Amino acid sequence: MSTPPSASPLHAAPTVTGFTLRALGLLPFAFVVWYFAAPVLLFPVVLLLRGIAHVGFSGLVASIEQSAAIATFVTSLRISGATTRGVLTVDVNLLLYAFGMPLYAALTLASRSKSWRRNLALGYVVLAPCVAFGAFADFLKNVAITAAPAIAAQTGFAAWQREAIAFAFQLGSLILPAVAPAVLWVALNQRLIAVLRRGGESVSSA
Amino acid sequence: MTARSDATRGGMSRFLFIFVALLAVSFGAELTPWAQVWIVTPWTDAVARIAGTLMRTFDASIATSGNIIATTRSTFAVAIEAGCNGVEATLVLVAAMLAFPATWRHRLAGIAIGVAAVQLLNIVRVISLFYLGQWNADVFEWAHLYVWQALIMLDVLIVWVIWVKLAGARRTFAGDDAVAA
Repeated sequence: MSTPPSASPLHAAPTVTGFTLRALGLLPFAFVVWYFAAPVLLFPVVLLLRGIAHVGFSGLVASIEQSAAIATFVTSLRISGATTRGVLTVDVNLLLYAFGMPLYAALTLASRSKSWRRNLALGYVVLAPCVAFGAFADFLKNVAITAAPAIAAQTGFAAWQREAIAFAFQLGSLILPAVAPAVLWVALNQRLIAVLRRGGESVSSA
Repeated sequence: MTARSDATRGGMSRFLFIFVALLAVSFGAELTPWAQVWIVTPWTDAVARIAGTLMRTFDASIATSGNIIATTRSTFAVAIEAGCNGVEATLVLVAAMLAFPATWRHRLAGIAIGVAAVQLLNIVRVISLFYLGQWNADVFEWAHLYVWQALIMLDVLIVWVIWVKLAGARRTFAGDDAVAA
């Protein structure tokens, strides 16, 4: 004898506790995958960085190279010291701006949505530019604000532009990496949030 | 059904717009010199002081000064800086609670309890990082730069969802009684 498949369209609703535990359980797994896949995951981010540099900062950035999760900005800024002569390069650790990716992946997988593949892909498309924004702002902060005065002067940024760079860096490092995945998850999971609010009730799977 | 979906979508757009606007304004205000001097610095020092006080209950070697937590056992010390003081996480939570349709009573109660919950986890973060840093520099880096950042935002999200569940009653993103059909 076999058990007939359930004809009921109803199933137990997920609870906030269950969702939280699933997200916490998936987070380490997501972090491991993210870390080891970073060179591939972040390659499109480097392409975006190159695009930004080409369009808006071609006089400042000569090229951008990728080594694992590090983006190296080769600038046109001259270094002239007693023993050194050359151009300035700036390394930016892209992982600093990309930790929202494993967070978003854990949230998405914990949601058990039928559209999890689409949501993961959508998340990547949305989060990659956020990573690029933070990384480029980090680079600009390095050359325009924290570099030696002789270097910073070569960038030619006005005072208000330095202020804007400082704001962009703070936004790109303190807010965007963490908030973007959370906002995206909320936007894509309104139905789940409605179900979580009614935790314990049954819901239609239709 | 369509009307409800449209209302919910419209409500979500309204929620996101208000959330982003509130976050942009509050984050911009946080970066002003006035806010740094009168709010962020005292807040950060308080985080260090509270963490230090808690740590002294089981570790007599702990000393704090301003935003710095140190141990008399070694030269190791940590300085709590922007991003580790829980201010940004608090701004995100407050903006999300203000943007969601709810009564002011529920909002204020949620902000009071929610901010306490976020700060409590942030204190746990500071304490854990202090001891991780003395144990292993690589593990400290990982926990500091990636793992705890994600955990704090997960905390904010869960606190918000619980608040929506408890305080939102039957409200939706559309702000009506649409859900319990």
